Amino acid sequence: MTDLPTPTHPAPVDSTGSRGSRILGAIAAGLVAATCFYAFVVTGPDSQLGETVRILYLHVPSVITAYLLVAIAAGASAFHLWKRNEFSDLLAASATEIGMVFLGVTLVTGMLWGRPTWGVYWVWDARLTTTALLFLMLVGYAVVRSLPAEPRSRATRSAVLSLVSLALVPVVSRSVEWWNSLHQGQTVLGTSDAKLDGAQLFGLFLGMVSGPVIAAWLLMHRFRVAWLAERAEELGLDAAIAARRLEAGGDAAGATS
Amino acid sequence: MSGVVATLGWDEVGGYVVVAWVAGVGAIGGYAASVVRKGRRLSRQVPPESRRWM
Repeated sequence: MTDLPTPTHPAPVDSTGSRGSRILGAIAAGLVAATCFYAFVVTGPDSQLGETVRILYLHVPSVITAYLLVAIAAGASAFHLWKRNEFSDLLAASATEIGMVFLGVTLVTGMLWGRPTWGVYWVWDARLTTTALLFLMLVGYAVVRSLPAEPRSRATRSAVLSLVSLALVPVVSRSVEWWNSLHQGQTVLGTSDAKLDGAQLFGLFLGMVSGPVIAAWLLMHRFRVAWLAERAEELGLDAAIAARRLEAGGDAAGATS
Repeated sequence: MSGVVATLGWDEVGGYVVVAWVAGVGAIGGYAASVVRKGRRLSRQVPPESRRWM
């Protein structure tokens, strides 16, 4: 790995922030605060789920956001396979990484919900297993991106993985209907016995808006980081080539003298 | 943890609720902080004309 060149130019903006990202960040912070307020102050315990319902205000939005990010990544990947541009490749990689974080949160909060509800943190239930499989797919994507490879083939492999991950989303989503599952059905729009209403439902919708807004803010920053990393790598490579040429020129001059 | 749970007036289930929220918000917040930090470091290394925003 070549050392990156020392910065020689004053940066007018020394962050990935912009006016748009700052506005979005402020909206996201407000929505998170409102969701927390609803989850802990406005709403009370559920008649069936008890206090554990408060975990759902985080668990459900995080999985919805993860699905959305997997879809964005797959869309960008499909576009990349068609047009082969850097923008779509970096967008797919950024969305997948953020999706992995949200899906990780889904798994952890789900386990912490499962322990007081089912008595165990984990069961090899259809919903849990398929969610874990999707998470592993996203981890696999990150591993493929980190492997040393020619950029074009690395982008192609990761794009294919991204499309396969998207194909897994309906399987995860419908797993509670397709298989006999311990996990409850869809709470809001589905057939689950545990129904939310009033303030609970509003709190959940607040969370379901907050998640994608946070994800959009993260995506803006993560994409910019990925873009800058590519440029910094190019600059490092250019600097190394220039140094090698200088060295070779010096050797040649030494040999002729 | 038991102190927090007692303050909130919940039974032991409240502990799982608090841990879930701390872990979830902490993970997303920690990730966001790492992305912003990385962005700051990288933007000092790249000339302004090479930057491209969405």
